[in-house]
Amino acid sequence: MPASRASRASRASRAPQAPQVTRVTRVPVPGAVLPGEAVPDDAVLPVLPALQELLPGGLRRGSVVAAGPWGLLGLALAAGASAAGAWCAVVGLPQLGVAAAADAGLDPGRMLLIADPGPGWPQVVASLLDGCELVLLRPPDRPSAQLRRRLEATVRRFGGVLVVAGEWDGAQTRLLVANQEWVGIGAGHGRLRARRAQVVADGRGAAARPRARWLWLPGPDGSVTIADETSGSREPFWPEIRSTG
Amino acid sequence: MTSASDVPCRVLVVWCPDWPDQDARAFEQVVTAVEGLCPRVEVLYPGACAVGARGPARYFGGEEALAVKIIDAVACHGFACRAGVADGMFAAQLAARAGRPEAPGAAVIVPPGAAPAFLAPHPVSSLGNPELADLLPRLGIRTLGDFAALSAAEAANRFGAQGALAHRLARGLDPRPLVPRPPSADLSVSTPFDPPVEQSEPVVFAAKALAERMHAGLAARGLACVRVQVQVICADGQELTRLWRHDGLLSALAVAERVRWQLSGWQAAHSDADEGVQAGGITLLRLVPDQLVRNTGHQLGLWGDAVINDRVARAALRVQALLGHGSVVRPLLAGGRNPVEQVTLVPFGDAADPALPSGRPWPGRLPAPAPATVFPVPLPARVTDESGATVTVSGRALVSAPPARLSARWPAHGEPWLAITSWAGPWPVTERWWCPASTRRRARFQLVAEDGSAWLATVQDGQWLIEASYD
Repeated sequence: MPASRASRASRASRAPQAPQVTRVTRVPVPGAVLPGEAVPDDAVLPVLPALQELLPGGLRRGSVVAAGPWGLLGLALAAGASAAGAWCAVVGLPQLGVAAAADAGLDPGRMLLIADPGPGWPQVVASLLDGCELVLLRPPDRPSAQLRRRLEATVRRFGGVLVVAGEWDGAQTRLLVANQEWVGIGAGHGRLRARRAQVVADGRGAAARPRARWLWLPGPDGSVTIADETSGSREPFWPEIRSTG
Repeated sequence: MTSASDVPCRVLVVWCPDWPDQDARAFEQVVTAVEGLCPRVEVLYPGACAVGARGPARYFGGEEALAVKIIDAVACHGFACRAGVADGMFAAQLAARAGRPEAPGAAVIVPPGAAPAFLAPHPVSSLGNPELADLLPRLGIRTLGDFAALSAAEAANRFGAQGALAHRLARGLDPRPLVPRPPSADLSVSTPFDPPVEQSEPVVFAAKALAERMHAGLAARGLACVRVQVQVICADGQELTRLWRHDGLLSALAVAERVRWQLSGWQAAHSDADEGVQAGGITLLRLVPDQLVRNTGHQLGLWGDAVINDRVARAALRVQALLGHGSVVRPLLAGGRNPVEQVTLVPFGDAADPALPSGRPWPGRLPAPAPATVFPVPLPARVTDESGATVTVSGRALVSAPPARLSARWPAHGEPWLAITSWAGPWPVTERWWCPASTRRRARFQLVAEDGSAWLATVQDGQWLIEASYD
């Protein structure tokens, strides 16, 4: 494949990496870092503070994250890294709401959108992983096991993170919105103000134990924050009544 | 003040009406078409270019014939343009615009010496100077003829340097002479392959040496190129050409890399069409430097931004080689009332402004939070009340009955009916009522279905559409 030579050359020309990074990326099953082993900061991409408990440390470089059906959760996963300066490519999602992405924390200036990658989408994703640290993907068709392994190898080689909207059998981490409830809207009155969503994360290796957290996904200003465990009788987002004059 | 040398030379201006402001890339095709007939073209702005008319007109047998030839050549590329010939750039530009809109392929020829008379009836606003366009009519000077009737000294005294310049324009003189693109010496380099090669590797290898030769040729003239055109010719006469743009200087290795992408992208596109991919092998590889600039050296960004951008640009260009220029876009947040308008998509490598300016109030825009999924084409939907009748909205924004059930043709869900648990609306939106062609009158709803999903729906002309999803 012509891609590999060009990209290897570019990798070699980059600054030498810390030895820990090399070790982690060479682990045959990525994500299966031995318990107790400290994860160097270079080996993860940061995530939003609200997702810290679900993804301890952050998004591990070289891993695939499945984020369930397409929604705000996928954007929230990418937001922390994008805000920290990573480029983010979005493949196969012409319906991405850019305003919502910006509110969640993604920088639209560091986004590349490829709405229709066509039948050659695996090559498109591989090319993008060379330049972008984060690739959001909704595969146009269900990839074969062989194709999946090849893409996973590409992700490991470039040290990026592939966030998949949909199912991905070999994903190291899976996130899912288990419960959700919109607040602020009634039967014919109010408007959508925020969503309380219970997000469940599980995965393989160190991330095997399922964790669940309640999040405001999104909050009233579009950001993603931690919500209380118990559903309050009064939502905190009712408009303030201010006296005027 | 007017001397014989002051009389401007004949200029032909090609003007494409309604050209999108930033689309310099497509305009390059128009310039190329014009350049095929007259070698020295000056691009005024995307949408207009100028050539000196004297020489070409003599060659083609008159200015009329030249203008018709140019309009035909541009039309061959699929663009409508108008042409104007006059003394001086300013008069020629106005002449190009003076053609009747109902006859787009028309040329307006202002005979030599007639420029002042041609300009006289035009309003002073055509000078393109907002200050003067505001001031002069208040002084009773409404046309260029009125303005030209003032003496040059008075105009300079009263209106300053800008006024003196404008006065020269109004009299049909040029503020500056035509500055054509430098006649391009042939700096292109090429390599023939005999016998034709089937694989791309030898071509890429040759491209590196070729690029070094091209850079040596450019460096000898103190030039650098912003873009490189890579041309591959096959044994059966097929030709594959692509322009590669690069912010910095394209190194020999970078050029070779782009040749490789171009070939692999081409192979990917043709692999399922026919087996003989290379159509008998490649016989010629040519590199043509484009957009020459003075080589002032290249300085990388201090904070490493440039390096990162270079990696990203390379990835984006590779995908563009596979899928086409417009397939990789960058989003720009824009203004507007609807979610789908609030983003402008710009192909990677192009510069553009948002279609609708952001930072304006846009009354009636959707309140935060913004929907996470915005359908580029709204999905047709049906919303009914308890009895199964379609919910309608009256002219006074009253709902016929509370919406109870929702069915939309979204691909993943089939077409099931979902019970609506909560809803809000209608919020009437009336846009552009002053323009019958683009006016829209709609009512917005927010609907929450039994499975917890939240939707943004609109009713327009009795038809329900799902515009976005909040999940």
